[in-house]
Amino acid sequence: MTYQFKRATVAAVAALGMLGFAAAASAKTEVRFVVAEYSSYSGKHYEEVAAAFEKQNPDIDVKVEVVPWNTLLQRLTTDIAGGTAPDISIIGTRWLLDFAAQGVAEPIDGYLTPEFKGTFIDTFMTPSVIDGKTMGLPVAASARAMMVNLDLFEKAGAKVPTNWDELYAAAQKISKLKDTFGFGLQGKEIETDAYFYYALWTHGGDIFGKDGKSGLNSPEALEAATLYKKMIDEGLTQPSPTNYNREDVFNLFKQGKVGMVFTFPMLIPQVKAEAPNLKYQVLPFPAKRAKATYGVTDTLMMFSTSKVKKEAWKFIEFAFKDEWRTQFDHGEGFLPVTKNVAAEDFYKTDPDISAFAAGLPYAKFAPTVENWEEIADTTVQALQKIYLGQQAPKAALDEAAAKIDKIRGK
Amino acid sequence: MRALLKSPALWMILPSFALTMFVIGYPILDLAWTSLQEVSRFGKLLGFAGTMNYGELVGDQLFIDSLVRTGIWTACVVTGAIVISLPVALILNEDFIGRGVARIIIMLPWSISLTMTAVVWRWALNGRAGLFNATFMNLGWMQEPVEWLATAQLGFTVEIMVGILVSIPFTTTIFLGGLSSMPQDVYEAAYVDGASRWQQFRHITLPLLKPFMNIAIVLNVIYVFNSFPIIWVMTEGGPANGTDILVTYLYKLAFRFGQLGKASAISLAMFFILFAFTLLYVWLVMRGEGETGADSDEPAPEEEGAPA
Repeated sequence: MTYQFKRATVAAVAALGMLGFAAAASAKTEVRFVVAEYSSYSGKHYEEVAAAFEKQNPDIDVKVEVVPWNTLLQRLTTDIAGGTAPDISIIGTRWLLDFAAQGVAEPIDGYLTPEFKGTFIDTFMTPSVIDGKTMGLPVAASARAMMVNLDLFEKAGAKVPTNWDELYAAAQKISKLKDTFGFGLQGKEIETDAYFYYALWTHGGDIFGKDGKSGLNSPEALEAATLYKKMIDEGLTQPSPTNYNREDVFNLFKQGKVGMVFTFPMLIPQVKAEAPNLKYQVLPFPAKRAKATYGVTDTLMMFSTSKVKKEAWKFIEFAFKDEWRTQFDHGEGFLPVTKNVAAEDFYKTDPDISAFAAGLPYAKFAPTVENWEEIADTTVQALQKIYLGQQAPKAALDEAAAKIDKIRGK
Repeated sequence: MRALLKSPALWMILPSFALTMFVIGYPILDLAWTSLQEVSRFGKLLGFAGTMNYGELVGDQLFIDSLVRTGIWTACVVTGAIVISLPVALILNEDFIGRGVARIIIMLPWSISLTMTAVVWRWALNGRAGLFNATFMNLGWMQEPVEWLATAQLGFTVEIMVGILVSIPFTTTIFLGGLSSMPQDVYEAAYVDGASRWQQFRHITLPLLKPFMNIAIVLNVIYVFNSFPIIWVMTEGGPANGTDILVTYLYKLAFRFGQLGKASAISLAMFFILFAFTLLYVWLVMRGEGETGADSDEPAPEEEGAPA
């Protein structure tokens, strides 16, 4: 009894103590910053930046909240709907238009000095400019490329491909090896559509045509989808791609079971750690009518509802200093978004990262259009029907294109 | 009526009844209100839209498909769980050495969160690296690895199996509670009269177990109908929407596509389906009880720890 009583007292005192702290903390200006979790390093990095920032600005308290990518959009949606949106957040650039169109994102042109703006690589600034207003800053960037297992190529006597015909031929040879498949094809979950865009773009097609209508019913899209389907049917990919998400395909590559995958730079540290003996090379996507890669940026966005925009901006400028950016880009394996970090020798001499960076001049970005998630999902459903053989490529793509045009009101 | 108003029991129940009505009622009213509005991507109400959201639902093939699939999912999982749990409970009710251990083993899966169970199954069922295929191939039962979750039909079947598996501990617990509360003298009398084990089961155990069966059915239907983690973790409703049930479809609409109005309409529809089911079921049960005039005061098992 006395013990319980003591415990209760301790708890009460502790609670009072916390109240005291809260009261003390509220004297400072609080900036809430939602950090998307790229890896376990992301949160650690921004905690460090925040700590250093608070040292210089004792009157500002930056609260870092780490949220996994899978739940980020849901979390922000509920926060915004509930009126408790953070002050700044890392978001996928593909969501930015929705945020901007709904007045959730704050235009930052008024805060952005020409000098600060000049630190960014222009290519990466463009996706965040909507209707002439800058709605956010690029905070992370990556490009995609092909990764090949050189051991398998040697064993099969295949030639490293530069175009789709060569890829097809190499896949045939590699698939003849026991328990091995030429081409790893992703068939479910996040970015299943991107795995198809790679082929779509390099065949000369595009997600949206010049008239803004879906490009899925173009001859190029049909050609790309038919090629994927043909490779599935002939056993040149792992069986049943619809059971493989991005990580599953990458795991097959790490296990040495597939010859070629399309991937992002973040796979390199994983391969080095988990399959140190794997001999690989990073190459541009095979090209047919066009060279292309998928440039992906994430955006640091300020919320229009924030009451501490000035303080938040001060923190943003601090976090983009070279010393922090170089730590972040190296730590996460990203391509640099600022000119100074990009100028580092590492990004020119490292064969892996430079191969990814090489694609940037002709990189395509996900179009910033409203309802992008739904459009992407429609594409994924169509692809899955094709991969499963439930629908012929042409029928599935035509249907998806019609649905996408309807979503966009075209 | 006046006597009822004077009853202290009524007044003692009232506060918690009011609280329950508030906790359950407010979200539903809010949901109903939202479902009649045009809602922005981030939950701002843009104006009254009448029955637009409901109209969209009726014309949405994916909604209809998900509805049908939810019916299949609920019926199969609940039936499966009850059919398997009944013999399990009967065995565990017998006195045998190691019964305590056996009971713990049956209950153990309950202590693991559904999401974790689903993640483990997803890994185990992986085509190339999964334990399931590896074991079956080592045993020589399979020549080629099977991609369990690659097609909707097989994937959905597997998900139903997992759903049944995780519902067993809860259902067994209900049955065990029922069995242990059964009067022994009835069995002794039956034994003296020369009733066989089957006759005892058929004419004593089953009728006495009926109220527990009803509870197991109602609660399981509610839990399974609303169950999200298994299907979401294992297939995300894919491939090609082939394993979507109402909750997973609802989640996609609300948090991926930002169609909160339509999603609210689905939530409300789900609520009314369950509500109608429960009312219908309670009515059926009460009617049956009125005829036999038995089993009126059976204690209800605890409602915590939802399975599936």
